[in-house]
Parts: sequence; C-alpha cells; structure tokens
Amino acid sequence: MTDYFTFLGLSRKLGIDVQELDRRYRALSRQFHPDYFHNASPGERRVSLERSSYLNDAYRTLKNPITRIEYLLKLEVGSPQGSDDPQSDAAQLKHGTPLPGRKPPASLLEEVFALNEELGEIREMRDRGAAPEEWQARLERAQQPIEAKRIAHEAEIAALSSQWDAAIDRDAPLDHRHAILEALGDRFLERNYISNLLLGIERELGVEPSALGN
Amino acid sequence: MSRVVGIDLGTTNSLVAYVNDGTPIVIRDDTGDGSDALVPSVVSVAPDGTVLVGREAERRLLTAADRTAYSIKRFMGKGREDVQGEAAHFPFRISGDDTGVVRIGLGDREYTPPEISAFVLRELKRRADAHFAALDDGRLGREETIGAVITVPAYFNDAQRTATRDAGRLAGLEILRIINEPTAASLAYGLDKRHAGLVAVYDFGGGTFDISILRIEDGVFQVLSTNGDTHLGGDDIDQLFTARVLEDLERGGAAVSHDGEFVQTVRTSVIRAKHELSNHEEAEIAVSRVATGGPDGQGRLNPQHQPYRMRLTRAAFEEAIAPIVERTLGPCRQALADAGIEPSQIDDVVLVGGSTRIPMVRRKVEALFGRAPHTGLNPDEVVALGAALQADILATGNRELLLLDVTPLSLGIETMGGVVSKIISRNSTIPATGGELFTTGVDDQTAVDIHVLQGERELVADNRSLARFKLRGIPPMPAGLPRVQVRFQIDANGILSVTARELRTGVEQVVEVKPSYGLTDEEVERMLVESFEHAEADVAARLLIDARNEAESVISATEKQLRSPDFADIERTELTPDESRKIRAVVSGLKMVLGSSDRETIQKWTQALNEATRHLAEVTMNRAVRAALAGRNVDAL
Repeated sequence: MTDYFTFLGLSRKLGIDVQELDRRYRALSRQFHPDYFHNASPGERRVSLERSSYLNDAYRTLKNPITRIEYLLKLEVGSPQGSDDPQSDAAQLKHGTPLPGRKPPASLLEEVFALNEELGEIREMRDRGAAPEEWQARLERAQQPIEAKRIAHEAEIAALSSQWDAAIDRDAPLDHRHAILEALGDRFLERNYISNLLLGIERELGVEPSALGN
Repeated sequence: MSRVVGIDLGTTNSLVAYVNDGTPIVIRDDTGDGSDALVPSVVSVAPDGTVLVGREAERRLLTAADRTAYSIKRFMGKGREDVQGEAAHFPFRISGDDTGVVRIGLGDREYTPPEISAFVLRELKRRADAHFAALDDGRLGREETIGAVITVPAYFNDAQRTATRDAGRLAGLEILRIINEPTAASLAYGLDKRHAGLVAVYDFGGGTFDISILRIEDGVFQVLSTNGDTHLGGDDIDQLFTARVLEDLERGGAAVSHDGEFVQTVRTSVIRAKHELSNHEEAEIAVSRVATGGPDGQGRLNPQHQPYRMRLTRAAFEEAIAPIVERTLGPCRQALADAGIEPSQIDDVVLVGGSTRIPMVRRKVEALFGRAPHTGLNPDEVVALGAALQADILATGNRELLLLDVTPLSLGIETMGGVVSKIISRNSTIPATGGELFTTGVDDQTAVDIHVLQGERELVADNRSLARFKLRGIPPMPAGLPRVQVRFQIDANGILSVTARELRTGVEQVVEVKPSYGLTDEEVERMLVESFEHAEADVAARLLIDARNEAESVISATEKQLRSPDFADIERTELTPDESRKIRAVVSGLKMVLGSSDRETIQKWTQALNEATRHLAEVTMNRAVRAALAGRNVDAL
C-alpha cells in the first residue's frame, strides 16, 4: 500500500490542518469500514479490514506531531531516528541479551556529564536520609539545564519542520531536502535521549513524574 | 438471515431490541408479569434437568440457591485462579477443570460460564423469534437464523470477548459483532443527530464499570478513549450490605453464612432497600424468613426466631458505598487524560446502567465533569437500543452512522527479562494492526516462544496472558541474525489474531489467539451437539444451511459488482480477460453445486469465488477512495 500521507491524500508536509485530516479520516472510514462490508464477499471483507486498519494506523500516526515527524524520517531516510544499523530496531525475544544503552549524542555530552555528577551527590544525600524536599529540590535544579535543552529542541524541531514544508512547496533540490531531514533526525535523536533521561531519573529516584513536571 | 437484533447481555438483566422503520425498540415479553423488557440473567437447573431462565429462575434463588446461577458475567473468560477470592460469596459451586476454565456446578451437572450465558441468550432469541413470528404472521421459515450484535463492557479483555462470542454461538445466534456497551449507548443517545461534540458515557452496571469519551461529528461516533473496571458494580454494594447483615446475625449466635438460600434471602432484601434509597431518605433491610438449611433442617436465624431488621438512612448508605463509587472516578480521569481533554470540555454526560440511579453516583459524576448528566434515557435499555442500531447498520450497510471504537487495553509480547514490548497501544481505533521485528538471543536457536499479553504494565507477570505459541523451523543461525516479524491484527470485534514470520526464510505461523481460559472451536461444536436442543443431525443441517447462506451472499455480492455501471470500465482497464472469464465461470460453478447437500463442495467453490474476486475487490475499493479524496459526495458512492 502507499504511504500514510498519500493514503490520506496529503502532501508530505509536517504542518497538517488537523480539521482537514479529521474530515478525510471520517470520509475514508465511511468507505472502508468493515461495518459496511458485512454482507459483501469475503474478498471484499478482507480488503475492507486491511484498508480500514491501515487507515486507522495512518490517522493515528499523522495526528500526533511527534509520530508524524518520526514517520516522515522513516519514510524519507529509511530507518527511524537516524539509525543506520538495521539490527538495532529488532528487540530480542526471550533467551537473548538486552541491547546496550545508547551513548549520549555529542551535543549533549556536557550537560549529561554535569547531570550525572550532580545525580551521584543527590543519591548520596538521599541514602544519608536527607529530607525528600531537600534532595528533590536539588534534583529539580539539576534537571533545569536539560529541561532548557528540551525546550530549545522543540523550537528547533518546529523551525526545521517549517523549512521542510517550504522546501516541499517550492520543490527544492534533493540534497537541500536531505540536509533538513538530517538536521531534523539529529534533533530527534537528542530529543528522545533527553526524554528517556528525564524519565529514567524520575523512575530511579522514585519521584512521581507529575511532581517534577515534564 | 432476515432478522437482526441487538442484545445487552448484562450481569443482572439482559434484553433484546431491534430496529423497526429506523427506530430501535425493545422486545418485551407479553406473556409473563405484564410487559417486561428485562430478562434477569439468572439460570436455574431443576432436579429433573429442566433449565429455567429469567424471572422463573430468579424466584428459585430463594428456594434452590445451589442450583441457581446469577452474575455469571463476572466469570466470563476467567480462569479458576481469577475467581478464587470471590467464589465463597456465591451459593452455587464454582470450580475449575485441568485447563483452568471456570466450571459452575448446578445440581449434578457442571457448566462453563459461556454455556450458562447461552441459556440466557436462548431465552432472548426465543422472545425475538416469537415477536417476529407474530409480525410475519407465521411466515418466518424454518431456515431463518437471527443475527445478533451482543454488547460487552468496553473494558472486557480478549478472553472475555471471545467467551461472549462463544455464548452467542452456543445459543444458535449468528454473531454479527461484539460491541462495547458505552459505545452502543452513545449511538442510541446521538441518534437524532442534533448531537455533536464531546460526550462522556458513564456506565455503572451490576458488575462492571466503564467510561468512554467520544467525539460525535457528521454521524461518526469516534471513541477517543475508554477505561473501566470489569469487577466493579452494583453487585459490590449488595455484597457489602449482605455481609454486614450476616455478620450481625452471626454475632447474635445464628450460623447463617453457609446457608445459600438464607444468604439469597438477605441479598434480595438488601437489593430492595438499595432501590428504595434511590427515591427515599430511609429504607429497611428486613429478613423475616427463617433459615432452613441447617443440617437438622431447623431454623437457624436466631434463638428467638425474631425477624431481622436493619434501618438504613441514605446518609449511612452513602457513607458505606462511598469507597465503591470513588473507585469509578480514577478510570474517568485516566480516560480524560488519554483523550487529551479537560473535564470542562465535555459537552454532555450520558448515564448508563442501573447503578447510575443512585443519587450519590449522579452527584459525583456531576462534580467531576462540572455539569449535570443527561438523564433522559432509560439506563437499563439504552445499550440494547444502540446494539440494535449497530445490527441494522451491519445488515443494511446504511452509511449514515458509523461507530469507530478503540481497543481498551494495550497488546504486546514478552521479550527478554520478562518485559512486555507493546505492539498496539490502548485506545487505538480498531480495526488496527501493529508489528515489530524480533531476533534470537542464542546461537542456532530454531524456535522462538511468542507469548501474547494484554495490559498496561511493564512486566509480563502483571499483565493478562492471552496465548502462547512457538514459531518453529528457523534454520540454525548465529544469535541476532534471524528477523522474526510479529504482526497483530485486531478486527472490528476487538478480537486479536497474531502472525509470526521469519523474514529470511519465510517460515510463517498464523494464530487465531484462543485465550488461555477460553473454549476451543472443537469444544464449542461439541457443546452445540450436546445441548439438548440440537441433535447431531440438526447441527449438520445447520452447518449446511450456513454454507449455503454464505455461498448465496458471495454470489449476490459478486453479481452486484458485475452489474454495476462502473464494471464495464473496470473490466476494460484493470482486469485481464482471464480474470473476468474466471469470475463468471466460478459463479456459475458455485450456482450449480449450491443445491447439493455436500457442504464441503459448496465451501470449496465459495472459497474459489473469493479468490477469483480478490483483485476485483481491491480495484473497486481503490476507485471509491480516489473518488472520495477528490471530494465527490460520499453518499453518492
């Protein structure tokens, strides 16, 4: 089947008119949904199930801005999140070994290094039995530079997304488009790294995620 | 099949409805106590083997408690281990067989929960048959089957859905679809199409609680999120007060809690008081009957043989049930969060289920959503009415209304370290697919275990195990080299099938996920044969009729395509001459064998026609899509 954008009759742009997406989704659901093929031939029933599933998957992926970008990267660059190792996306079934944790991207080394140092001290504080308010406040401060990075990334991703859409509109040459995607892919890798980092800290220190905000 | 119905198979009551001239109506019983829509979901087996259902069975709760099953919905799709904790609350025997399937003992026979539910469904089918026969003035032929949409709580898992489908098959119904109760209710609520916007359906029934958040627009009912608890309902309130009364009595020296009939007497009185408190400030739990189940047949209520009375004010009642009602609010908040919606954005709150008659429940719902809930619908009937509408859509293909529902729980498989890898997330619109690539961890591993799980937790042990199977025949390769593609498909009933395939070699296995505590197809067939309404010959005849019906519908669908105005163009531009010749040849072939009584031949030709028309079906669908995207009027297609 065609890609999600084409399937929904959209160009491969990241700025999507959500109301238009909803409208198309409803119109296509009315075409494919298994409800309308109950008395049809099994061939048609199967096609209806396949198309309808694909439509739902497409809609879900494109509706969310994050998965939309991930999908575009996969579509244009081939592998998700800039990874070029075809094995890295295969998780292991039982009896395997877990994948090694990914190294921090170069642009984040400094912040991650500082954070780790600070985390060590916070852990010590906690283990010494310091009051939770005390070390939690410090943890929050320690996370601030990372949080600032995250916000900066969101802005960069938004800017790159607009650049991509402009490139599509004026039918820019391939190498120009690829440069945008590459930058977008890098930002995305970093973004995912940061999200995991923040989540990991909250989990390890047993802090309610909501207590720290995102 | 000419008639279709919607069935609400409830924990406490069940009912059946159908659509007449576009309006859904409940089929009422005209013989029994007045005109009654509700069939109590109670089944009683008399010593001579006679099975009683509904009101008659309900009366036997007090006289033959150990032979009378109620609240069976709580056991659907459950394993023995799941129900151990509460088995003691029920006066009938609850056990399990070697495979872990729950068995309910009534008299000297054991039944699975789907078999007991099938008795209730058969009673509803009888009601519908009688109703339609009267309408048709007896013209309803013997070969007519009834197609049914059956509702389940939105938060039912795969095993519970499959058990419900099995119950329907055992009752001799053609199951058109399993749909979610709150979604069905929204369909009945939004029918008049003035309704658009965000709707919350709060469904608090006898045994289960569901919350669904929907967006209704252009006649499309899109479920955004759902949550709930399949073990939370009015039953819990009844149990709470029944236990209180029994404790009270035992403190007074009466040994009553193991006397099933006496316990039922108390429960009945508790329920009466609960209902009264919805309209009055005060009620009384009164037990005048004396327990008779003692070993010497003597009364055991209390030494004085005084009737028992407990006065209950609404305030005291509410204080006691507050923790139960409170448990419904967490799922509501989660559903709102999953839909990305603030409570204040909800345009209307719809109440479903008998427990929403409790004033405190209404107050709590109003406080949470900041608006008074919509109470214009009969909370007992709205689910069946919606199911009837859905049955009508399926039967007629009417595209005015469309339900887009979601899967309530995430689905995944077990990976290294007992961790679940999610393949389809909760609240994904169904039908849905998902897939992931896996590899081996040991050199020369020739088989991988695929363990399918349902639930939100990270660790395998905390989720519901749905099924296990092995993908074998992987050629020996170094660890990490094989590429095992696991694909999940959830159909429009919310039921899952799983395919695993090794990409380097093409070794493939497809598994219709049969839940760990479910019945196999063979068991269902055997039960059909065993059930006293079906002699073996009947079953064979029935299967032949099914095969013929299927063949006829395939022929008619194909001929409709061949006659359509677009077909000449399709034939010219997109089909090879061979393809269209073959379709016509297989149609005539199938027509020739249709009259024979050889079921297998009919099925073989039907299958051949399916294959011959597969490409045509795709082409037709593609054209429809191009037209839809080009902005042509959808209704014109």
